[in-house]
Amino acid sequence: MDYDAIVIGGGHAGIEACLALSREGFETLLITQSLDAIGRMSCNPSIGGLAKGNLVREIDALGGEMAHLIDSTMIQYRILNRRRGPAVQAPRAQADKFSYSRLAKETLERQPHLHLFMDTVTDLLIDGNAVAGVVTERGWRISASVVVLTTGTFMDGRIFIGEYDAPFGRLGESAAIGLGDSLRRLGFHTGRMKTGTPARVLLSSLDLDEMEIQEGDIAEPFSFDSDRVDRPSLPCYVTYTNEETHRIIRDNISRSPLYGGKIVGRGPRYCPSIEDKVIRFPDRERHQIFVEPEGTGSEEMYLNGLSSSLPEDVQRAFIHSIPGLRHAEVMRPAYAVEYDYLDPLDLYPTLESKILPSLFIAGQTNGTSGYEEAAAQGLMAGINAAERLKGNDGVVLSRTEAYIGVLIDDLVTKGTKEPYRMFTSRAEYRLSLRHDTADERLTPIGMRIGLASQEKAERFERKKEELEEVISILRSSRIAGKSAYDRLREPGQDIRELGIDALSRYPESVLSRAELDIRYSGYLLRQEREAEKTRREENMAIPADFDYDSIDGISSESREKLKAVRPMSLGQAGRISGVRVSDIAVLAVAIRSRRG
Amino acid sequence: MARYATDEPIYALATPYSPSALAVIRASGSGVLSMIAPYFSASILDKPSLSAIHGYIKDKDGSLIDEVVAIKYAKGHGYTSEEAFEIMCHGSLPVIRRISRLLESIGIREAERGEFTYRAFMHGRLDLTAAEAVEEIVSARSERAGAEALSRLSGSIRKEAEAAKDAILDILASVEVQLDYGEDDVPEEWVFPSDRVNSIISRLSMIASTYSASRLYSHGASVVLIGRTNAGKSSLYNAILKENRAIVSDEEGTTRDYIESDAMIDGLPIRLFDTAGLRDTDGSVEREGIRRTRDLMKDADLIVYVLDGEEEDMYPEGGNILHVRSKRDLTGRDDALSFSSVTGEGLESVILAIKAKLVSSDTAIASVPRIDSERQLEALRSAVEALEDAEKAVPMGEDVVAMYLQSALSSLSELTGEITSDDVLERLFSSFCLGK
Repeated sequence: MDYDAIVIGGGHAGIEACLALSREGFETLLITQSLDAIGRMSCNPSIGGLAKGNLVREIDALGGEMAHLIDSTMIQYRILNRRRGPAVQAPRAQADKFSYSRLAKETLERQPHLHLFMDTVTDLLIDGNAVAGVVTERGWRISASVVVLTTGTFMDGRIFIGEYDAPFGRLGESAAIGLGDSLRRLGFHTGRMKTGTPARVLLSSLDLDEMEIQEGDIAEPFSFDSDRVDRPSLPCYVTYTNEETHRIIRDNISRSPLYGGKIVGRGPRYCPSIEDKVIRFPDRERHQIFVEPEGTGSEEMYLNGLSSSLPEDVQRAFIHSIPGLRHAEVMRPAYAVEYDYLDPLDLYPTLESKILPSLFIAGQTNGTSGYEEAAAQGLMAGINAAERLKGNDGVVLSRTEAYIGVLIDDLVTKGTKEPYRMFTSRAEYRLSLRHDTADERLTPIGMRIGLASQEKAERFERKKEELEEVISILRSSRIAGKSAYDRLREPGQDIRELGIDALSRYPESVLSRAELDIRYSGYLLRQEREAEKTRREENMAIPADFDYDSIDGISSESREKLKAVRPMSLGQAGRISGVRVSDIAVLAVAIRSRRG
Repeated sequence: MARYATDEPIYALATPYSPSALAVIRASGSGVLSMIAPYFSASILDKPSLSAIHGYIKDKDGSLIDEVVAIKYAKGHGYTSEEAFEIMCHGSLPVIRRISRLLESIGIREAERGEFTYRAFMHGRLDLTAAEAVEEIVSARSERAGAEALSRLSGSIRKEAEAAKDAILDILASVEVQLDYGEDDVPEEWVFPSDRVNSIISRLSMIASTYSASRLYSHGASVVLIGRTNAGKSSLYNAILKENRAIVSDEEGTTRDYIESDAMIDGLPIRLFDTAGLRDTDGSVEREGIRRTRDLMKDADLIVYVLDGEEEDMYPEGGNILHVRSKRDLTGRDDALSFSSVTGEGLESVILAIKAKLVSSDTAIASVPRIDSERQLEALRSAVEALEDAEKAVPMGEDVVAMYLQSALSSLSELTGEITSDDVLERLFSSFCLGK
C-alpha cells in the first residue's frame, strides 16, 4: 500500500479531508490538478454568512481548518441578522482570496504525514469490490486503503459565456476529463448541475462616490481557538441595477446559453443569475449589487449579484448602465459552469459510497454549493475515512446537534435537484444550533476522535468552567428584587449593563454566550423536548445488510425507496420522501424481530 | 411523518364508554406503576408481575373512588411490552370519569386512537401476520402522512385547515426570507401581521368548536332539570331513569342541592341532574342551592324547564332550553311536550324531544362537517396557542417567532398532512427575488 489515504482535489472539501486524515496520523496523499489552486475561492471572496457561518464554527469546533484560514486572511467582518435574533445571526467575512489560498497551501505543506502531488486522476483502482487507489493522467497507479473524492466543478466541467464554451472547471483551468466516465462505468449515478460567477472589475475604474459604502463590524474570530483577530477592514460598496440594465438584459436574453438551451444542468434558485432575476421578477425595479474587494493588494473587485452567462459585450453593456460602474474596466467576465455531480443518495451518512466501499465523496461533487458546505463534508469524509482506517464505526452528526448533521442527512436522505445550500430554515432545531454554541455541541466529539488539539480541548474545558462561574454569579446577584439571572430572561437586557463588577474579568465570548443561553432558556427547553423525540428514532439503527425484500408488509413503492437510500436509522427512513408511515412501523418490527 | 413516542405514560378505557357491570382501564409507559402506587390502597410495587391485586383506588384528596382489581405488568410482560397496569373497576360512568381524571392529574395522558396497539407493534409484540391489520390503525393515527387522513377529514373543515396552513406558510416564508437572507438582501423590517394571524386564529377556533357536538356521543351530554319547586322535576327525573336508567349507583352531588345520574337515551349517553327548585328565597341555605343550580345550568348541554301543567308562567328562553309540562293527567292537555308521571302518557315523546333537542343544538354548527376526536381538537388548540405565542414572542426576535409559526404549522399538519422545510423554501423562492 503506497498510502493509507488518497484525497482527490485540493478545494475546500479536500483541504479539510486531507488534514483530518493526516492529523490523525495517517499517511495521506493529496492529488490536485494544480498545486497553485489549493483553497481557491472560485466565486465570492467571502466565508460565512447566514447558516454558513454556523457551519464554519462547527468545522472549527470539531478540529477543522476553515476558521483558522479566514481568521488570518479576512479583510472585513460582519455579523449578519444582528437585529433578528441570535439563533439566526451569523458571522461573515470578506477574505483576501490570494492570502487565503496561499495560507491553505502552506498549512498543508507544513502538515506532517501529508504529501502533496500534482496530477489529474482519471480512474480508480478496484480490489475485490472496494476502492484500492487511483490511476492518473500521467500514468501513475497509486494504492491506498481509503480514497476521498472532492472534484468540485471539475468533473467534465464546461464553462459558458454567451456563444463561447470551453472544457474548464474554472475559467482558464482545465476540466478533469475521464473520471466521470470511469465512475459511470462503475455504476455511479451522475447528473449535471450549473452555477455561475459574476465579472471582476478594476477598482480604480469605479466611481466610488456614486455608491453607498458598507463598512465592517469589529472583527471577532470564527475559531474558538482565539479571542481576537487583528486584521485590516476594507469597505464594500453597494449599488443598484435600473430599468436600463433590465432592458439590455431582456433584449439579449436569446443569446444566453441558459435560455438558449445549451445548458441543461439545474442552477440554484437562491443564487440566480441577473438574467434569471430580471426574467422571473419583472416587477422589481432594481436589484442590489455589492462590490467587494478580492484582496488587500489587488485591484480586482467582485460584483456580487451580477452573475451571468450572457455574452461579454452584453455584460459590458449592462455593467456600464449601473451607477458606480459606468466606467468599469472588466478584468474577468462572468460565466456559468456546468459540471457532473454524483447523486448523494448513493452515499451513507458517513459519506462513504454505497456503490464502492472505502470511497468517500465530499463537496460540490455531491451536488452542494458553497465553500462552507464543501468544507463541512470534506471534514466529515476525512473523519469517517480515518475511523474506517482505525476499524471504528462512522461518526454521524444528528440533525439535533449540528447544521453539518442537517446538511449531510438532507443530502443522503433526500438527494438534491439543485445545488444545495445551507439555510437556517432547513434545521428543525435552529435555536439549539447557534454559532456560538458549536464548541459545546461538537468539541467533545472532536476530542473523542482525536482531531481536536490538546490546546483546543483545554480552552474548551476552561470556557465551560467560566460559563458556570458566570451563571452562578448571575444567580446570586440581585438587582431590584430579582436575581440578575431572571432579569436576563427579559428581552433587551444586556449582561454588560447589569453593573456586576465580578463579570468584568470574563471574556466577551463567555458573557454573550451566558446572556443568550439565559434569555432563550425557556425556548431552548421547548425545542429540546421536541428534539428528544427525534433522537429516539435516530437511535434505532437499521443493519447495513438489512434485506428489504424479506418483509412482506411494506408497499412496493416504499420498498424501492428504502432500498435506494438504505437508511441507517428508523429516523432517517422516516424522512425519505414518499415512504409511508405505516411502512416505517412495519420496518421497525422487522428490525426488532431480526435483532432478537 | 408522524413523531412516534413510546414509553410516554398513557391510559385508555379498554371497554366501551357506556354503563356496564365492569370496565377496564389500562395504562402503559415508563414509571406508570410508581405513579399509580400512592393512589392504590394495596401495595403494588413489591408484587410480582402479572399479579391480580385487590384494593381501592383513591382520589388525590384521599377519598375512595372504587373497589377494583389491578393487574400489574412489569416491563416486557403486558400487551405493549412496556411497564403497565390494568384496573378493573365497576362500569359506572362517574367511576370511569374519576379514575380518568386521577390518571391525568398524575401525568398519565389519554392515549390516541390505536396507540396501545401501535406500541405493542413497535415493541415487537405482534407478529408480522398481524402487521397488516395494525398497519391500517397506524396509518389512521399518523394522519400527517397524508392521503388517507385527508379523506377522513371532511370537506369544508379540511379546506379551512388547508387555508389556515397556507396563510401561516405565507407568513412563515415572509419571516424566513428575512432570517435566511439578512439585512443586506432584504432590508425591509418585518412586521408581525397581527390582523392576518388573528383571522387565522378565529378560523381555527371555529373548527375547534365543531368538536363539542360530536363530543356529546363520546363523552355524554349533561341535561339539567329545572323548574319551580313541585313543578314535577323529580317525577320526570325518576320516570326517565325508570325507562333508561344506567346500571350504576347514583353519585350524589356535593350537597343535597341536586342529584345526578347517568342514562342512555336512544344511544346517546346523558348525565341527568335534578336540581333544587328555582325560587327566590330568604333562606341562605336555599340561596346557596340556587347558586349551584345556576352553575349547573351554565355548563349544561340542555336545560329542561319543567312547568307545572296548571301554571301559566313566565319562563326563561334560550337556545339550549326545552320547555315541558307536567301533570298531563290533571290538565288533559295533549300537546307534544306534556307528560304525566302518573299515567306515563307523553313521557316517551318528552324523552325523544330531549334527544332531538340535544342533537339539534349541534345542527347550528352541523352544517359544517366536524372534527371527531380529542386529538384533532388538541392539534387545533395547540396551533392556536402557538400562533398566540408567536405574537407574544415578537420582542424576543424573529427567530423565536418563526419557531412558533413552525410549531403552529406542524400542529395543523397532524390534521392535513406534512409541511416540510422544503415547502417553506419553495414558497420563499417563488415569492421573493433573492440572491446576491
